[in-house]
Amino acid sequence: MSAEAVKTTQPGEVPVTPDKAARGRAARRRSTHIALNIALSIGALTMIIPFLWMIVTSLKSPADLAQFPPSLLPKDWVWSNYPEALKAAPFHIYFRNSFIISAGHTMITLALGAMAGYSLARIPFRGREIVFMSFVAMLMIPTYTKIVPQFLLVKFMPFFGGNDVFGQGGTGWLNTWWALIIPGGLSASAIFLFRQFYLSLPKELEEAARLDGLGEFRIFAQIYTPLIKPALATVGLLTFQESWNNFLWPLLVTTRDDLRVIQVGLAVFRQLDGTSWNYLMAGTTLATLPMVLLFLFCQRYFVQGFANAGIK
Amino acid sequence: MRMIRTHAAAVAFAATAALTLSACSSADGGTSAGDGTVSGDITLLSPIFEGSEGQRLLEDELLPQFYAKYPDVKVTVDYTTYNQLNEKLTTAVASGLVPDVMMMGVGWVESFADRGVLANLSETGLTQEKLEESYTKEIVEAGMWEDSVYALPIMLDTRFGVARMDLLREAGYDAPPKTWDELTEMSKALTVRSEDGTLQRTGFDVQSMDPRQMFMTMLFSAGGDLFTEDLTAPAFNSPAGVDALEFVSDLIHVDKVEDIGFSSASADPNPLVNGRAAMAIAHNNVWSQFEKAAPELLGELQPFVIQGEASGMFFGGTLATVSAKSKHPEAAQALMEFLASPGPALAANEQRGNVPALTELLDSDYVQGNPLVQFAMENLDVARREGGPAQWLEIRGTFKPAIEAALLGQQTPQEALDGLAKSAQTAIDRK
Amino acid sequence: MTTTKPAAGLRTAGAAAKESPRKPTPARSKQHPQGNKKLRRAGWLMVTPSILHIGLWTALPVIATFVLSFTNYNVFDAPRWIGFENYIEVWNDPTFRKATWNTVVYTFWTVPVSMAIAVVIAVMLNQKMRFQTWYRAAFFLPQVTATVAIAMVWLWIFNPQQGLLNAALSVVGIPGKSWLADPDWALWAVILVGVWQGIGMKMLIYIAALQNIDESLYEAASIDGASSIRKFFSITLPMLKPATFFVFVISVIGAFQVFDQVYVLTDGGPANATTMMTYEVYRSAFQNFRMGMASAQSVFLFAFLLVMTLASRRLTRGEDG
Repeated sequence: MSAEAVKTTQPGEVPVTPDKAARGRAARRRSTHIALNIALSIGALTMIIPFLWMIVTSLKSPADLAQFPPSLLPKDWVWSNYPEALKAAPFHIYFRNSFIISAGHTMITLALGAMAGYSLARIPFRGREIVFMSFVAMLMIPTYTKIVPQFLLVKFMPFFGGNDVFGQGGTGWLNTWWALIIPGGLSASAIFLFRQFYLSLPKELEEAARLDGLGEFRIFAQIYTPLIKPALATVGLLTFQESWNNFLWPLLVTTRDDLRVIQVGLAVFRQLDGTSWNYLMAGTTLATLPMVLLFLFCQRYFVQGFANAGIK
Repeated sequence: MRMIRTHAAAVAFAATAALTLSACSSADGGTSAGDGTVSGDITLLSPIFEGSEGQRLLEDELLPQFYAKYPDVKVTVDYTTYNQLNEKLTTAVASGLVPDVMMMGVGWVESFADRGVLANLSETGLTQEKLEESYTKEIVEAGMWEDSVYALPIMLDTRFGVARMDLLREAGYDAPPKTWDELTEMSKALTVRSEDGTLQRTGFDVQSMDPRQMFMTMLFSAGGDLFTEDLTAPAFNSPAGVDALEFVSDLIHVDKVEDIGFSSASADPNPLVNGRAAMAIAHNNVWSQFEKAAPELLGELQPFVIQGEASGMFFGGTLATVSAKSKHPEAAQALMEFLASPGPALAANEQRGNVPALTELLDSDYVQGNPLVQFAMENLDVARREGGPAQWLEIRGTFKPAIEAALLGQQTPQEALDGLAKSAQTAIDRK
Repeated sequence: MTTTKPAAGLRTAGAAAKESPRKPTPARSKQHPQGNKKLRRAGWLMVTPSILHIGLWTALPVIATFVLSFTNYNVFDAPRWIGFENYIEVWNDPTFRKATWNTVVYTFWTVPVSMAIAVVIAVMLNQKMRFQTWYRAAFFLPQVTATVAIAMVWLWIFNPQQGLLNAALSVVGIPGKSWLADPDWALWAVILVGVWQGIGMKMLIYIAALQNIDESLYEAASIDGASSIRKFFSITLPMLKPATFFVFVISVIGAFQVFDQVYVLTDGGPANATTMMTYEVYRSAFQNFRMGMASAQSVFLFAFLLVMTLASRRLTRGEDG
């Protein structure tokens, strides 16, 4: 472990000759490294304790759950909680729907958000400050006040769902994929984050490219965007995860079961008059799993970026 | 695991029973005649029948019976949960797209009827007198607004005293308390603290449910009312209300029967289940909790009405309503009546472990097999509900912090209730 | 394996960059009025789809909020203009005042604390090391699970009788507390969950931002003999400024709108000890059916946030753009 660790720490610190001083430095670095690992392990463990608790709970029987004092591990490992929980709602449909919605939101956000972020960061035009600050300001009104107007927009969408040109007479986008995918497709925070990432890139690239006669869109798509892969991964991950966990909006704009999402399914276990903890935790564990896999997939885009290209 | 299967089997059995029952009762049920003139596509908003099990019950067992009678009606069900019912109804009303049939809670009907969202059922023949043949007076009134009927009750959630007789016997008692004094005395005797004073077992748990509903149970026990007769002013800060809150507060601070935070509405399981409480104000579904977690103790559960100046028993519940703007009022009304009829109502109650509103269902196997539900039904004539003025939904939200403030000792019961009454009065007077 | 694809893009970029010194580089495109116009058009063209989307789905509801805040809209009847009545009521409402204070306390503790922890973890996890992926996943995990579900786990952890926290404390001999029922502790419990949950996103953004720091800066500093701490403060932190501006603004906005964990953990209690501004907005809108009131409360919240954002922008002006 230490060999690899030493090899890959900060550049510029790589020992040149194996003299005495370098060896001393290596030893010191190794002990720093062990300390670092211990600190990180403790931190990581603290972060995941609630999840371990969740998984343990998902395997307990109701009798076990009522135990006092609570047992750390299940007395009987009730693996059947998982299939039982999955039976409580049509989770295969919910899962598919959640996936479609999240993927849709992510694609719209990456396409529109990156473009807008680039424009706001790198193209000087009058009014961009106002546009940018307005975007940020849009985030400052809580969801719960915006949701009724948004619902009305969806319902009175002209020409859809039997509506006339004034949006009267039908149900608009209610009960359609449009309502699930379009309104939540782009958030101002994604544009904001993209802007900040494009800002942190050096100016020389664009100036050179513009002198070379490259169109602005090509500069955006071919020169700058490949440099912010970590940002793309970040925005994609955060957008996907937020849509995946969204609950209220899909519940409001749909009445049909075949358009509902995974979080709505999990709400079945969370009733006013009693929670089925074991099923809720089993369901939540299963719902979290795809997000963890997505993270592991995305996370390889964080291992290198602009820095390794050696551009000044 | 085995318990779960048994449970599923029980539901399946209930559904079958429901089939038979509703077949029998269909002869006298319904004001809209089943002559085929009733038709249309209607929507149903339901916070119950959720999940696959509930959905199967509604769509595979119950609705086919409805269709058999009304072949030209098509029902689309919008399932939600109670937690999100407010949001669903709010957006529905705001957009004018109100479901034809809506289920809502006790205390909600007043607001929605007052604002003209609900159809007046008295005008269709479902009068108060007619309903009182099938339900107790108080339950019928839960669906009424300004002398007209707007809702049919389906299921009730009741709160009353529950004792663990095994723990009572250990302490030398062979029956639950019959008066407040007995309640205090027994609670003290049943409370167990370790040497350092840590509470091991409370004699009487008052914290496992919403503070508002706990307070109301005690308010009714003290003989108090929520509002004046004409619903223009709050009455819960009457001497009876103050007595009720003081009684609970004293249990905690003077008699040291329970510590703040020992239990909470969100804490599962109920402390009765694991012996952390000997008695409690509990919901009838504590029976279901015991069935799952401690079936061997089912026989030790003894329900009791908390008896003070009056009988302390509280009910909320679910009622079915029809939209005033329904395009197919006959179909909507037929569905509402069907859902409230004995068969479907029994099945819905059984699925949730709740108390049927229909008096006749006392004799059903389900009720006879669940002593807490049976007890609740036998005492429905003394049970009282929450609600009253059209602004109830707004007022009820302010109860919890006020009751908590009193129990925490931040305010005296009188101060807390007076403050609460003041904000309630403001809400009632606002137009 | 991961290096092949990005490298291709980078090489193009590198080539373009290398060419630049050969030509007389204009410092700003404003020296080219022709290009400037084209550029402006491109700028607007690229931002327009987003303006349309945000305009329709967010700006319109926000404008509606402002308008409705002057009405008594209750969703049942048509809104009636009542001037500043809602605002006067908000201003005089002791519960909303309490909620505002709680929100400020929550934000004060969650935002800076989480940000500091997140940046330190991000720097640690930016070095290549074994288990790097797993450490990152562990810190990010709280972010990916639906708040409502994971808040329910915390409910259990805080449970005075059966909870993990009191069990852990009793091992070291500290008497337990009823965290969520004690008005002195409930807000801290909510804050703890907020910090725990907020670290993941912030860490992720910092890690992504760290990829953009030119390593030659560190090389140069190393040659000058700068210590790691020195490098952190003189290179890493300044280079993270755009990311920090984002994280700060978004975190403050998020903290001011904290809802889910309050909803599940405490329901605003005990005795309003943990009620928050958004929680009051929710209560007004969906429990009291007072949309006008909820709108006025939202505008109040909006004003608070706008002032904070403008202030933080003033402080970092020139460095975030």
